[in-house]
Amino acid sequence: MTEKKTPLLDELETGKWPSFVTEIKRAAVKSEAAGELLQVLERSYAERRGHWKHGGIVGVRGYGGGVIGRYVDEPQTYPHVAEFHTIRLLQPSGWFYNTKTLRTVCDIWEKHGSGLTNMHGSTGDIILLGCKTDQIQPIFDEFSEAGFDLGGSGSCLRTPNCCVGPGRCEHACYDTLEACYNVTNEFMDELHRPMWPYKSKIKFSGCANDCTSSIARSDCSVIGTWRDTLRIDQDAVKEYVANKFDIQEMVCDKCPTKCLSFNAETQELSVVGEDCTRCMHCINMMPKAIRAGKEKGATILIGGKSTIVQSAFMSWVIVPFMKMETEDDFEPFKDLMRRIWEWWDEHGKSRERIGETIYRLGMTKFLQGIEVEPVPQMVFRPRANPYVFWNQDDLDRSGTALDGSKL
Amino acid sequence: MVFKMARGPADPEVKAKVLEYLAKVQKAKSRDVAVAIGATKSDVDNAVKELTAEDLVEYLYITTTFICLKGKVQTPD
Repeated sequence: MTEKKTPLLDELETGKWPSFVTEIKRAAVKSEAAGELLQVLERSYAERRGHWKHGGIVGVRGYGGGVIGRYVDEPQTYPHVAEFHTIRLLQPSGWFYNTKTLRTVCDIWEKHGSGLTNMHGSTGDIILLGCKTDQIQPIFDEFSEAGFDLGGSGSCLRTPNCCVGPGRCEHACYDTLEACYNVTNEFMDELHRPMWPYKSKIKFSGCANDCTSSIARSDCSVIGTWRDTLRIDQDAVKEYVANKFDIQEMVCDKCPTKCLSFNAETQELSVVGEDCTRCMHCINMMPKAIRAGKEKGATILIGGKSTIVQSAFMSWVIVPFMKMETEDDFEPFKDLMRRIWEWWDEHGKSRERIGETIYRLGMTKFLQGIEVEPVPQMVFRPRANPYVFWNQDDLDRSGTALDGSKL
Repeated sequence: MVFKMARGPADPEVKAKVLEYLAKVQKAKSRDVAVAIGATKSDVDNAVKELTAEDLVEYLYITTTFICLKGKVQTPD
């Protein structure tokens, strides 16, 4: 292939960071599609407009998700990327691989596709970028033989994702890896056969540090927490003091609910457990001295999403605490998800995420629909009052109006 | 309320009705199919699952995912 100039892309190779342009150029040595991809991208930067279309009918027999059709808008100019479909593969929980598995993925992909990968996409999947329509089924067949399955795309359950959890992190309040694996296997039909108004995502984070950004980037966030009190090792606190760590300034003053107090004379740290919002700040600052409580589980939140019909939403709490220790503990979560999806499937408009349906119809109707009792933790936004109201039936039953008058 | 996508073999009658309905339209959401043929959504989803495996129905993504008869709709320009 004649090498064409890409001055704008070349700029992205300068600086100290790794560059995706360099990687595409490396792939272009073997792949004409990767070479043309550079040309399309250079042109997009010059013209400030995209040249890709996506969607349509591409997939493997029996599946509705996992393959995203992509086409360049000038196939005669760029014949090698006229069809440049994306394939999503289900990733292992926590992204743990051995080198043999990674080589298998790359070998299959270089044989049938552009050789370009994205490890990993924002949904967590292994993303394989660029193949032709006639290669989709052979690619799927070879990956199936190697033990892989397709991820989610379209109006379905998108590939559930989790943080590395107890695999490497001491903060994990539940086994995110097991929860993600278990829930993914349960909902294979929902993942591979798009049946809903729009996409739905689940992300599992082991603690409120939320390394999967689940509260902003998933319809259902499962965030690890504890329901008793922080555990404080006073000897370790004294060690922090000996090392000139300013506990008052760095920890107590920055505690959002001011539930921590430090006695400089006795060098002891204490906590008012009922005021703690389990934000993880103190644990992050003093991991050797402060640990989560013993009664661990997860908070379930609903409704996070990026801008589509409505603006971007953060998730709302719907279950303040749910045990997540054993396989049996996952069952209430799965049952809850089925009720949520059924309600959304019945009431959601096309291209409306669950958070938008709740926003349009109200949290009261949503909670009634999924048969969950309102609780004070269901706040609209941090430090705002709960916005779950009594309905007329509740008032009629009580015989007393909100202002105290008799009905 | 207990929800679970219908498991096991799909109802042949529902499968036939789904095919009949899809023959009349270009594309549809499975919820609309369920309303049109008077079946439950979960029964339609189960029928569609089998019909796609039998290569009679396929999924079409145009801003959201629809279902259509195999080969009836082409990828738009």
